[in-house]
Amino acid sequence: MDEKVLTRHFGVEGLFRIDVYRGQGGYRAVETALKRMTPAAVLDEVKRASLRGRGGAGFPAGVKWGFVPQNVPKPRYLCVNADEGEPGTFKDRYLMNHNPHLLLEGTIIASYAVGIHAAFIYVRGEYEAVALRLEGAIAEAYRNGYLGKNILGTGFDLDVAVHRGAGAYICGEETALLESLEGKRGHPRLKPPFPASVGLFQCPTVINNVETLSNIPFIVQNGAGWFLKRGLPKDGGTRIFGVSGMVKKPGIYELPLGTKLRTIIFDHAGGMKEGKQLKAVIPGGMSAPILTADEIDLPMDFDSLAGAGSMLGSAAVIVIDRETSILDVLKAVAKFYSHESCGQCTPCRIGTAWINKIVKRLARGEGEQDDIDAIVRLATNIKGKTLCPLGDAAALPILSICQKFRRELEGYLPHA
Amino acid sequence: MPKIFIDDRAVEVAEGLTLLQAAESVGIPIPHFCYHPAFPPEGSCRMCLVEIEGLPKLELACSTVVKEGLRVRTMSPKVVEARKSVLEFLLAEHPLDCPICDKAGECKLQDYFEEYGLFKSQFKEAKEKREKKFKLGRNLILDRERCILCTRCVRFLNEITKTEDAGILNRGIHSEVGIFESEFIDNNYSGNLAQICPVGAITDTDFRFKTRVWFLESRESICPLCSRGCNIIMDSHAGYPRTLPTRRVYRVRARQNLDVNFHWICDYGRYGYAYLDEGREDRLVWKKGDRETRLSWDKAAQILSEKIRSLVHLRKNSRIGIVLHTNLTNEELFLADRVFRKGLGVEKLFLADPPPGKGDEFLLTADRTANRRGLQEVGLPVQAPDLKALSGLDLLLIFGHYLAAGTSPSDLKNALEKVETKALFASHKSGLDGLVDFVIPVPVIAEKNGSLTNIDGRVQPFVAGLSFAGDGIAEWRALLDLARELKVEHKYFSRLASPEAIYRALRKEIPFFK
Ligand SMILES: Cc1cc2nc3c(=O)[nH]c(=O)nc-3n(C[C@H](O)[C@H](O)[C@H](O)COP(=O)(O)O)c2cc1C
Ligand code: SF4
Ligand code: SF4
Ligand code: FES
Repeated sequence: MDEKVLTRHFGVEGLFRIDVYRGQGGYRAVETALKRMTPAAVLDEVKRASLRGRGGAGFPAGVKWGFVPQNVPKPRYLCVNADEGEPGTFKDRYLMNHNPHLLLEGTIIASYAVGIHAAFIYVRGEYEAVALRLEGAIAEAYRNGYLGKNILGTGFDLDVAVHRGAGAYICGEETALLESLEGKRGHPRLKPPFPASVGLFQCPTVINNVETLSNIPFIVQNGAGWFLKRGLPKDGGTRIFGVSGMVKKPGIYELPLGTKLRTIIFDHAGGMKEGKQLKAVIPGGMSAPILTADEIDLPMDFDSLAGAGSMLGSAAVIVIDRETSILDVLKAVAKFYSHESCGQCTPCRIGTAWINKIVKRLARGEGEQDDIDAIVRLATNIKGKTLCPLGDAAALPILSICQKFRRELEGYLPHA
Repeated sequence: MPKIFIDDRAVEVAEGLTLLQAAESVGIPIPHFCYHPAFPPEGSCRMCLVEIEGLPKLELACSTVVKEGLRVRTMSPKVVEARKSVLEFLLAEHPLDCPICDKAGECKLQDYFEEYGLFKSQFKEAKEKREKKFKLGRNLILDRERCILCTRCVRFLNEITKTEDAGILNRGIHSEVGIFESEFIDNNYSGNLAQICPVGAITDTDFRFKTRVWFLESRESICPLCSRGCNIIMDSHAGYPRTLPTRRVYRVRARQNLDVNFHWICDYGRYGYAYLDEGREDRLVWKKGDRETRLSWDKAAQILSEKIRSLVHLRKNSRIGIVLHTNLTNEELFLADRVFRKGLGVEKLFLADPPPGKGDEFLLTADRTANRRGLQEVGLPVQAPDLKALSGLDLLLIFGHYLAAGTSPSDLKNALEKVETKALFASHKSGLDGLVDFVIPVPVIAEKNGSLTNIDGRVQPFVAGLSFAGDGIAEWRALLDLARELKVEHKYFSRLASPEAIYRALRKEIPFFK
């Protein structure tokens, strides 16, 4: 069985064009859904497929759609999260570049299932080429009757627009994304209310990651059972692992959920670069707590990684070798979150900056005996106490680095 | 009404309240910075975190709505630890300039540190350097080092004045409150910003560096500068050390009244307190030609009563005129009616008020007097102070110094020269002083007890927040004294010995005041 689903046709020349895409079976799922299924049936199929969000939190997509109230006299919106800001993550870019129509197809079906007539694709600011590609695909889809009024004669209407971000990581957080889309500062909102009930312009809104939505056509076309077989019972389908770092073949690898981390690194990504030895892996984007070389026999799915105190997140696998100083890793993490904290809430705004100041001082060789304790204490005081998950995204990897690599870090302290 | 448990205490609280409000309503304060009752919860300072039974994380008291059976801990070790850590974060980047900060003594950060902090700073890094004297508005200086980014100021400008002048600029640790370079906060409510800033980040140039708040005595009062009747607090020096001996009031602040002014007052009322100490009448004098004699009110009352008595005796009631104004209290207007009109049959009641100004859509009314509605409800029939009608009277009792406004000085002089005896009861000096025979200083609203009826018909009692020293007499007492001297309805007036007693009569006799 060919394991690949989303990336299966990536080799096909000109896949981004609608005729080529259709030649590979594209847009048939839209026909199936809109012509032969009720919205409720689509929703049900997605629920049964145990498709969990690919943006980071792993929330079941069908359940999320089900939260959207159908009886309020307001429009409903879909926001496609294409902000892809998590360091190490580049899968959505590949998906949109190679196969933009797949995302559009998923978007159309999701909108149909939830009763949505306007969708926005929020694209990371730096992804200019991607934005252009999406716009081209959208124009093609309109011309071919897949978007606009009365899609395929079914009476279903949907408009899709691309919105480009301005380069802030926080705008990938769903409520900050909504603020940004509304033209405001990308400050996360206080939850509840959740976007499903009060989202874009105060209307019920679904927010899904690019990869999440790209799975939808396959679920509709092949059924939930088929999809589940490609992953795990509680975690259906494949994942696109973006492997970077000291491996021979960095890149994206679409594999079934539950594939062992060791297999990803050593079988698919070609193993460590010549002469390099594995020291640590960040398994799910920078926000994921670090794993040591001893922990790579973990299956890569949401629950297994959560069980090991880390997370699958965006499935970006960052491979770190022994020559890389753990202080450099800590420096990169501390700097990133301090830079990307939106500044709204106290513990994250000041805590990340404070940690960053300590780490920078450490790196200058001006460390003090209690610095590591201080970092741990500060990260602990951020953890679980912030307005949005960025606080935890900063605190957890920092804590894990300090805990698992304490000895090495202590080597940077002045000797007593 | 849901029943919840706060620190093991079972309490019933109103539906829809947040935990913070519910706890506050039963006297359990929960520390907070960004929460302000005027706005929806912001949830950014993280100071209000509390423990809710059954939930793994600490939750926000400012945004969690009460539910039947909820068990909350507001003082558990976890909660206290969390508060401490928020304080530690805030103070890490906060300057230690409390000794020169106007907010010291009423600063939430300082207060909470005393209560929950008291740790030794472990911050070894360099604090961010920021602008300390940014001119934010007409009266406002922003110290960005002191700002804790609670965004109360931003939300006030978005939601209350709707001027949307300010926002947060930059990101993360570089976040700061800012305005457009070409702009400047200049609206009639800007003074509220210094009041709602929980720390000393926004200070008021009017108050800056003038005194320390712990020298001030705070007294509740009603702003008399327009007919809204905003509830205020007057902060005055309790005596020591008085750097400016002529000035008693250092600051006027809004006092919450959700039925009248919410949490706000306008700048016209906030900064308009100079009148309390400036230009006041301070000597009770009797003038004969160029000679001025100081005398006591008792003496003056005897002379005036004598004059009234003889006129009434000769049935010359119509040759007596009374000029009133609507900065008098309900009680005083009521007494004026009962003593002069009903008691003595005086019909010539005039009304001389300060001219109206421009009102705004929010609190400030065009009517710049405090009690026009009170006058209406008391039902005093008054007429405009037509100079023709005044001139030729035998006796004119003028309350207020407003007669001088709006008439030409020479016309006024001519008219008053034709009045035999003129007594002026005024709080402030004016052109009238030279035209009358008696000048009798009276207190302003802030210096007496009574009640006012605001534009919406709300009767608001108040007590003196400042003392009235010197020669004069409050109008209500003057009216009672005249009634007593003249033996008008002795039994009736002898019972009305205080503003409270007068108000009781008012309530009994005029249905509106029930
Ligand atoms: C700081 C932060 C950044 C995030 N960035 C992204 C992002 O770039 N792309 C994304 O899909 N989700 C991102 N997320 C997750 C989203 O908030 C949200 O969970 C996701 O878009 C939901 O879609 P899904 O259920 O399909 O995963 C981010 C979350 C946080 C807290
Ligand atoms: S946790 Fe950080 S990014 Fe999230 S709201 Fe608070 S300051 Fe902003
Ligand atoms: S200036 Fe004051 S009110 Fe405004 S955000 Fe800063 S601390 Fe809050
Ligand atoms: S008062 Fe609740 S977060 Fe600020």
